[in-house]
This record gives sequence, C-alpha cells and structure tokens, in this order.
Amino acid sequence: MENKLVNEIEELQKSFKQMSDKLIKDIHRQNKIMERSDKRQQQEYDELQNRLQEVQELQNEIEETQREVVFTMGAIGESRSKETGNHVKRVAEYSKILALHYGLDEKEAEMLKQASPMHDIGKVAIPDAVLNKPGRFDEHERKIMDTHAELGYEMLKMSNRSLLKMAATVAYEHHEKYNGTGYPNKLKGEEIHIHGRITALADVFDALGSDRCYKKAWDDEKIFALFKEERGEHFDPRLIDIFFEHLDEFLTIRDTFKDVAE
Amino acid sequence: MENLKLEATKYTPEISLESSGVISMVGKSYPENTFEFYSPIIEWVEAYFDGSAADTTVVNMEILYFNSSSSKLFFDFFDLLEEASANHTIEINWIYDEENESALEAGQDFIEDFEALKINLVKK
Repeated sequence: MENKLVNEIEELQKSFKQMSDKLIKDIHRQNKIMERSDKRQQQEYDELQNRLQEVQELQNEIEETQREVVFTMGAIGESRSKETGNHVKRVAEYSKILALHYGLDEKEAEMLKQASPMHDIGKVAIPDAVLNKPGRFDEHERKIMDTHAELGYEMLKMSNRSLLKMAATVAYEHHEKYNGTGYPNKLKGEEIHIHGRITALADVFDALGSDRCYKKAWDDEKIFALFKEERGEHFDPRLIDIFFEHLDEFLTIRDTFKDVAE
Repeated sequence: MENLKLEATKYTPEISLESSGVISMVGKSYPENTFEFYSPIIEWVEAYFDGSAADTTVVNMEILYFNSSSSKLFFDFFDLLEEASANHTIEINWIYDEENESALEAGQDFIEDFEALKINLVKK
C-alpha cells in the first residue's frame, strides 16, 4: 500500500518534471523569438529609414535638375527673343497666381510656374536673319517667326514627363487668342488649354510693361485699358477678371523681380 | 495521401507537401493570421507521419522573411519533425541567402534547439 502510493507520487513527480521542463523550454524559446524579432525589426527599420532618405535625396536631385533644365531652356528661348532680364521669372510667377486663383491646385500651379517660361523655346530654331531683323517683319518673315509656337511644341511633345508635356502645350498655344484669331491653330475659347490661356496673359502683361530696345514700356493705364478691351477677345475673360481682382499681387511680383537698369 | 500545394502570395510562401517525401516552403511568411494559415500544413504533416510516410523525408525550407508568429510556428513544426524522427529518417535543408543574416541566424537557432534533427545550412 505504502509502496503503491510512493510509486504514484513518483510517477506524478516525473510527469510534473517533464511538463515543467517543457514549459521552461517554451519560455526560453519564446524569449529567443522575441529577441530575434526585435533585433530584426530594428535592422529593418534602420534599413528602411536609410533607403527612404536615399530616395528622398534622389527625388530632390531629380526635381532640382528638372527645375534647372527647364529654367535654362526658358532662358535660352528668351535669349533668342527680344525679351530680357527677369521676364522669364515674372511670367512664371504671374502664371502661378493666375492658375491658383483660377482654381487649379497647388501642384498644378507650381508645375505651370516651371513650364510657362519655356513658351518661347521654339525660337531657338528661328534663323538669326529673321530673329534679329531690326524693324517690322514683312509677311514672309512674320510667318517664319510665328512657326516658333509649333516648333516649341515639336521639341517638347515627345517627352513623357508631365512637366515637359505641359510645356509643350504652353509653347503650342500661348499665341492662340480667345476669340479664335490667334495662331497656329486658331483655337477658340476653352479649346485653348487653360495653361496656354494663362501663359498668354502672363507673357503679354510682362512684355507690354517692359522696356525693349525697340519700344518703351507702356504705362499701366494703357495696359489696363488694352486688357479691358481684349477681355473675351485676345484673353480669357475669367483670367482678365482675376487679373484685376488681384492686381496688387501682380504688381508686387513685377516690383520684386524688376529688371535692374544697366 | 494527397499532395498539398499552396501558391505563394504577397504574405505567404509557396508550400508544397508531397507524399513521396518532399516538403518545401519557399518565400516570405508574414500572414495576417499565421496560425490559421499554417494549421492545414501542420495537420497534413501530422497525418503524413502517422500514416504512410516515405522512407526518407526531405524538408526544404527557404524562408526569406518571416514575422515572429511564423518563427514560433516553425519551432512547432520542427518539434513535430523531431518527434517523428524517432521512427523516420528526416533530413532538413535550411536554405538561406548569404546576405540574409536573419535567415541564417534562424537556421542556427533551429540547429541549436533540435539536436536530434539533421539540419543542413545550405548557402544559396
């Protein structure tokens, strides 16, 4: 009897030992899994952070390069035209605020700011003899000159980059007029892309208000009178309304980026 | 016994259980519900060793990435193999990429914990 009890207790002891060994083993294992897992997580997170930073830097680099290339192209275009100084910069800024007040979102407006300076890039392909001719163009020369819109479009349209695609549209359509009498395609009203309509206004406003070797700057009253006259003719009436509503913003930009007298 | 084959998904490895004696898991393992995902696998393996296991069973594990639940599950799976190894011949290949340090470490852990099992670390 006594022995039986001892045997039972010994059996219980054995199975208790087995069970507790297994539990201890499981706990150790669990700890090991957690430790490993923490270590891995740390490495992964570090790695992720590093990669993210690399991507960020690359992205900045790409965007910066794009901005520079685009701006330089704009400057090249301008160097082939009779515009000077900060014209490109001002057109860019005017375009952006027109875009924002028209209701385009910040991203699109910022892109237009970068794309609009390229509107005259087609002029690089206009022969010097025409481009630099003093005085008025005859009909034939005028025709050659006017091809710069299409030439710019041809140069840029092959790109898959959205910014250059936008610039292609701007180059193509910045001489179209709202009433359908512009060139090269005599587009009318909203057939002209909003980016084209905006750049047209920004470009003309700046050109009229600047001194050129062949003309004095128009005074503001004369420009405003023309704009009112051309509302719905040359220019999108909504954009003209925006222009007068936010005139102070345009004048601030003109003042900020004014050409320094040489 | 029917073979069981699961295609890899974004979160789970390709799994192939063949009654001829080859078990393999290749890919990543971080399922949303790890224990649910692996329960048919564990069931298959249990049934396999209870019944018609081949003379030699080869287990090829090539796990590139795994979450901690999967890690726990692999331990359970190896427990099962260790138990079966008393009556069956089992060979395990833990296949890892040289650059994948955590895969190598996991393999080393299994070797350390399962002395009765024959586990080969195989560099890809």
